[in-house]
Amino acid sequence: MTTPIDLGLPTPGTAGVPTLAEGQQLTGKDFTSDQEVRWCPGCGDYAVLKAVQGFLPQLGLRRENIVFVSGIGCSSRFPYYLDTYGMHSIHGRAPAIATGIATAREDLSVWVVTGDGDALSIGGNHLIHALRRNVNMTILLFNNRIYGLTKGQYSPTSEAGKVTKSTPMGSVDQPLNPVSLALGAEATFVARTIDSDRKHLTSVLSAAAAHRGTALVEIYQNCPIFNDGAFDAIKDRDRKADAIIPLEHGEQIRFGPPGEDGRGSKALVRDEVTGGVRAAFAADVPDEAILVHDAHNPDPSTAFAISRLTDTGYLNQSPIGIFRQVVRPTYDDQVREQAGPRRGLDDLQALIDGGDVWTVEEDR
Amino acid sequence: MTLTPEKPIKQVERVIIRFAGDSGDGMQLTGDRFTQQTAIFGNDLATFPSFPAEIRSPQGTIPGVSSFQVHFASRDILTPGDHPDVLVAMNPAALKANVSDLRAGAVIIADTHEFTARNLTKAGYDHNPLEDDSLADFQVHPVDLTGMTIEAVKDFSLTRKEATRSKNMFALGLVSWLYGRPVEPTIDHLTRKFAGKPNVRDANIAAFKAGVNFGETAEVFAVSYEVKPAPVPKGRYRNITGNLALSYGIVAAGRLADLPVFLGAYPITPASDILHELSKHKDFGVTTFQAEDEIAAIGAALGASYAGHLGITSTSGPGMSLKSEAVGLAVMLELPLVVVDVQRGGPSTGLPTKTEQADLLQAMFGRNGEAPLPVIAPQSPADCFDAALEAVRIAVTFRTPVVLLSDGYLANGSEPWRLPDVTSLPRIEPGFATGPNHKLDDGDEDFLPYLRDAETLARPWAPPGKAGLEHRIGGLEKSDGTGNISYDPANHEHMVRVRQAKVDRVAETVPDLQVDDPSGRARLLVIGWGSTYGPIGAGVRRVRQRGFDVAQVHLRHLNPFPRNLGEILARYDKVVVPEMNLGQLALLLRAKYLIDAESRTNVRGTPFGAEEMEGILLAALTDLGIADASDNPIDARVAEEALR
Amino acid sequence: MTYVIAQPCVDLKDRTCVDECPVDCIYEGERMLYIQPDECVDCGACEPVCPAEAIFFEDDVPDEWADYTQANADFFAKLGSPGGAGKVGKVADDPQWIKDLPPQEHD
Ligand SMILES: Cc1ncc(C[n+]2csc(CCOP(=O)(O)OP(=O)(O)O)c2C)c(N)n1
Ligand code: SF4
Ligand code: SF4
Ligand code: SF4
Ligand SMILES: [Mg+2]
Repeated sequence: MTTPIDLGLPTPGTAGVPTLAEGQQLTGKDFTSDQEVRWCPGCGDYAVLKAVQGFLPQLGLRRENIVFVSGIGCSSRFPYYLDTYGMHSIHGRAPAIATGIATAREDLSVWVVTGDGDALSIGGNHLIHALRRNVNMTILLFNNRIYGLTKGQYSPTSEAGKVTKSTPMGSVDQPLNPVSLALGAEATFVARTIDSDRKHLTSVLSAAAAHRGTALVEIYQNCPIFNDGAFDAIKDRDRKADAIIPLEHGEQIRFGPPGEDGRGSKALVRDEVTGGVRAAFAADVPDEAILVHDAHNPDPSTAFAISRLTDTGYLNQSPIGIFRQVVRPTYDDQVREQAGPRRGLDDLQALIDGGDVWTVEEDR
Repeated sequence: MTLTPEKPIKQVERVIIRFAGDSGDGMQLTGDRFTQQTAIFGNDLATFPSFPAEIRSPQGTIPGVSSFQVHFASRDILTPGDHPDVLVAMNPAALKANVSDLRAGAVIIADTHEFTARNLTKAGYDHNPLEDDSLADFQVHPVDLTGMTIEAVKDFSLTRKEATRSKNMFALGLVSWLYGRPVEPTIDHLTRKFAGKPNVRDANIAAFKAGVNFGETAEVFAVSYEVKPAPVPKGRYRNITGNLALSYGIVAAGRLADLPVFLGAYPITPASDILHELSKHKDFGVTTFQAEDEIAAIGAALGASYAGHLGITSTSGPGMSLKSEAVGLAVMLELPLVVVDVQRGGPSTGLPTKTEQADLLQAMFGRNGEAPLPVIAPQSPADCFDAALEAVRIAVTFRTPVVLLSDGYLANGSEPWRLPDVTSLPRIEPGFATGPNHKLDDGDEDFLPYLRDAETLARPWAPPGKAGLEHRIGGLEKSDGTGNISYDPANHEHMVRVRQAKVDRVAETVPDLQVDDPSGRARLLVIGWGSTYGPIGAGVRRVRQRGFDVAQVHLRHLNPFPRNLGEILARYDKVVVPEMNLGQLALLLRAKYLIDAESRTNVRGTPFGAEEMEGILLAALTDLGIADASDNPIDARVAEEALR
Repeated sequence: MTYVIAQPCVDLKDRTCVDECPVDCIYEGERMLYIQPDECVDCGACEPVCPAEAIFFEDDVPDEWADYTQANADFFAKLGSPGGAGKVGKVADDPQWIKDLPPQEHD
């Protein structure tokens, strides 16, 4: 289980956002709006909603200073169900809108809710630019590897060969891996978690919220209607030990059924041939060869190599946890720093009077 | 230094000068300096810069020609003029590209140094036109501008290339002498501009002075001319381009509304200047965001509006197309937003550096669903300031996106601007929601984000940060009042009509249109919008000088139209609508008022000429049986001459 | 809010609901199954699949079975929130009054 990492950041993600008065404490209920939740029965979105409602009180922030912005998709209905400020915007554009909000207002905790189609297909451009700018916000990417709202077409994360309504003979698209993409887009915080694992989800959320900059959290989310079982391997009690490669900063990366030392019998080691990483039996390699996860490494190469261990086809194996968490100045903080002292109308008069001005003394 | 010419001075009422050269020759700067001198001298003026779409087309070729036209007069003028009286041609291509626009008898000053065999070929000349009689209609002054410039700056240890760069200043000096322009402002300007590079500064000043002296002494220039200052109301003036005025208008509107300004923009000609200018004014509370594309630009601006800032996005046609979905969202969210479209020739990438007014219908209707929004347009470069203020007033008061339609001609053209006293401009009230706005049956209070103001039908603006006003908005249809998602047919019908009604209400806050019909006897009305104001006014003036009556009215508000527009249109026997498109306003007028508005259009990428407009109006008067065919300007040059 | 399992499950326990629950929060007691109220995410997947129609949204529990809401909570008094029924298995923590119910007939 990943625990929130305290980097001792000079300015945590929520610095500048007003907190609750001493002794005041909100509950999940305070974050529940009066709107009826309308996802399909069993949808993974419910679990995430519940986890977020349960988590938000932990931030100790004022409700009115929290904003959720979403795009379009099943998952993007999220803001309606939270009693915070919220905007359900247009397909793919939430990161852009949130950039405006976060840049305009330091006193807001800004969250983006998006789907795999929303973030990676139509909104791919906005996602990568938000990440590289490092705008202070947290992006929750609900990856169900399908277009839910439009009733089941394949998405940019669907495995090649996927048979859907729009690909009756199987898709011929290579899917992309959101974590690899984010790492390539200069992201400062990249994590992956699972809808049904409330504890892990919550711990990742708190690390993401604490991060100053754009935090991308990919959430594997089951769509029981159009892509049921996409994540069965990592949820199934018997299979998940082999399927989940848990990433914990400062810990050896071990997975698989417990070996003799009681820890995962498999481990990640450097692959001398490819320069990447590969799985090996822990017993077959010297202890010091086992990779110790370093989320704070300024160089994202190893994190990227680990991200490549995610299956591109049907998901039988996936690293889960915080891949990367590094400190870099945020876009919005720097923009605000550039803003000088506020000048008024008198100064404005001086501005427009600047340049070559001439005076006509009398009407002529 | 003041000019004390020994040579005779001839009085003229107005002059049109065009500086033309290769895009590397500094013609825009030259024109700009001449304009400043002229403005300071007190003439009324209008300018028209024209440059190639490519940054550097092949040197010496016709596509590479860049020009700057300035029209100045001792009375008020409305256009940059049709036919130059003076052409400064820095090379054969510049001569070839412009000579056909000149009036008969015009002065041509050509830099002989550049009339080499190679350059002549590049421009497509078989013979050197300076040496044959092809320019017999004009007063040609072949001058070795380059050679004399090199000579003038030889003391400043510059390379030959650097030295020749000052030739535009030599040309400026010569023309300044010719028209008795004050020279100090240019010398001051050069001193300031090149403060860090003393030898460049000195070389430019020397070249400029050499040009002046050459005029004074050279025998070929027998006379100089004087254009007396124009009658203007007293006040402080500066010359300003449309893009700069528009930018200042946005800064001013932010201060008048006491709102931080957030501009989201993606670079595009001819709107980028607005991004550049606003980026300089962070200390006026302006944040600029150069987005990854136009969609992100408007998205971020809308986000900023949601967060309580004044969201602005600026672009040109292709960017407008990209923004349309987000504009629809803004219509639905009912948040203040100003969308500036500096129109250029279209469709698609079209003519990036040329002007057009063909985005009107896109602004009106270019969204899915019934998505009405106010549309307004400035009518002259300086008017861009007022138009920006008006756009912000409407956006903030009515919680709506507003499209502000400028165009390439306004954006880069300039005119003297009588400086407003900004402290006395009307304030704009954001009127943020401060608390609950609704009482429940049980006596409790709550906040309804779509409860409307009875007068404006605007909804509350409630940026995050206020406890108790937490609410969710989005692009899905919503119940009036609560703003909750609603698919109820009756509610949708109601909301579609309410959004329309709200935009219609803007007209209640717009003053009645004033028709310019001095005699009150006109049967012909000419109506336009945007940058055609100048050419239409100039055409009207010409027709009136011929003794005919014609009425003129010009629209700032294109949606909704001013309340009295229908009544005005009905008063006239004939209505003509000149536009730089294929009749978009005419279409709207015909549809809305069931009148036979006649469209007169041009889509050449350049504004209407005054004489072209005169022809349009005379033809309309002929149709009415008022003028007859002989009144039409058969030979444009003759007519132009007759009216000098 | 949560979903609640009521009387029709007693002594039936066919476990169809367990496979549906995305967060594995339906736990097995001796006499019936119980939904962990803090773990339930209100997704409603269990309700339609129960052949005995034993599952209700908290607000919709029929009056006659109102006590089952509390029973579902009480079952977890000792167990707490284990975060997954699979690894817990069957637990004999049924509230006393459930244990005391007469055997239920099902056809
Ligand atoms: C501009 C635009 N194009 C297409 C759509 C239709 N559309 C709505 S949601 C969606 C895909 C959503 O998929 P995803 O982002 O994965 O969200 P999910 O529903 O799976 O949560 C599409 C194509 C739209 N709303 N807007
Ligand atoms: S379609 Fe899939 S993703 Fe959408 S609500 Fe239904 S289950 Fe959830
Ligand atoms: S499906 Fe119904 S009867 Fe079967 S175990 Fe679940 S609640 Fe009990
Ligand atoms: S409602 Fe959903 S989460 Fe709750 S018990 Fe039923 S299936 Fe599980
Ligand atoms: Mg999806």
